[in-house]
Amino acid sequence: MSEERPSDDLARLAKRLDRARSEHAGAPAAETGDTAGQQQALGIGFRIGIEFVVAIAVAMGLGWAIDRVLGTRPFAMIVLFFLGIAAGMLNVYRAITGQGAAVGFRRPGKED
Amino acid sequence: MALELHPLEQFKIEPLIPLHIGGLDVSYTNSALFMTVAVVLITALLVLGTRRGALVPGRWQSMAELSYEFVADMVETNAGHGAEPYFPFVFTLFMFVLFANFLGLIPYSFTVTSHIIVTFALAAIVFIGVTIIGFVKHGAHFLRLFVPEGVPVVLLFLLVPIELLSYFIRPFTLSIRLFANMLAGHTMLAIFGGFAASIGLLAIFPTLINVGLIGLEALVAALQAYVFAILTCLYLRDALHLH
Repeated sequence: MSEERPSDDLARLAKRLDRARSEHAGAPAAETGDTAGQQQALGIGFRIGIEFVVAIAVAMGLGWAIDRVLGTRPFAMIVLFFLGIAAGMLNVYRAITGQGAAVGFRRPGKED
Repeated sequence: MALELHPLEQFKIEPLIPLHIGGLDVSYTNSALFMTVAVVLITALLVLGTRRGALVPGRWQSMAELSYEFVADMVETNAGHGAEPYFPFVFTLFMFVLFANFLGLIPYSFTVTSHIIVTFALAAIVFIGVTIIGFVKHGAHFLRLFVPEGVPVVLLFLLVPIELLSYFIRPFTLSIRLFANMLAGHTMLAIFGGFAASIGLLAIFPTLINVGLIGLEALVAALQAYVFAILTCLYLRDALHLH
């Protein structure tokens, strides 16, 4: 690369890039869009697979611990089992509706 | 025909340099070794790759720039505006998990992320960090995250515990997802591999399965690093923007 006239080099490079791009124009653009969508779908699929199970397991574990401390066996575990199902469903629902892993719900458009 | 399968042996942690400080076992293990290898490789890729800083990047510079831009783009789209200061953290996390996952695919290597204590430590850092950021940015207002809007007061007694629960589940889902995927994949590979070693000529079939599986594992390795990083971004967005 010549140090004196970098603008010449840049212009030539831009021309070459343009030519290369125009040769590959059309199909690849649609293709990349498709794979990006697939990637996202795969990401979501792998995410929610475990969400539901872990929610129930963790909630029941917490219930078991509370029962042990308070001696209320088995009530905390039962209550938390149902709360765990609810939380798991909530997480899965939010993951697939594109609200991310969001906790809490705000009406769209209302900025805090 | 006796099958000698030890599919879980690969996850055994062995001290390489025994070290005990104050009754604590802080030996340098094979797990620590592969963490070190991952960190060294990442540093080498990024430092050596960008050393020349050429306008037209070579292969190595291209890889370094690609990974940088990939994560930068992820942080921008998922964590939203104002998340830029946390980019280095997300980038570090992503690269570490990615390299640990891929290093684990090399035969006879050790998969750091197949241990839940490792993934849980990473997830706990994310969880605690995000919670602190939320409180620092919003103060007690951050607690509004757990109170859904426009809900009758009676229902709040039910909904707030559910929201709390789904918040505290985060570090568990984050860590278990990564750990379970790595553990299951590598166990499966070891089972088919051990199978192939013990059935003579028929070994071609389990070997073929393993060829397919290793491809799948490569996908999982990249995808799980991606999922880990993207969830970190989403959690960050919660803390920064409160929706």
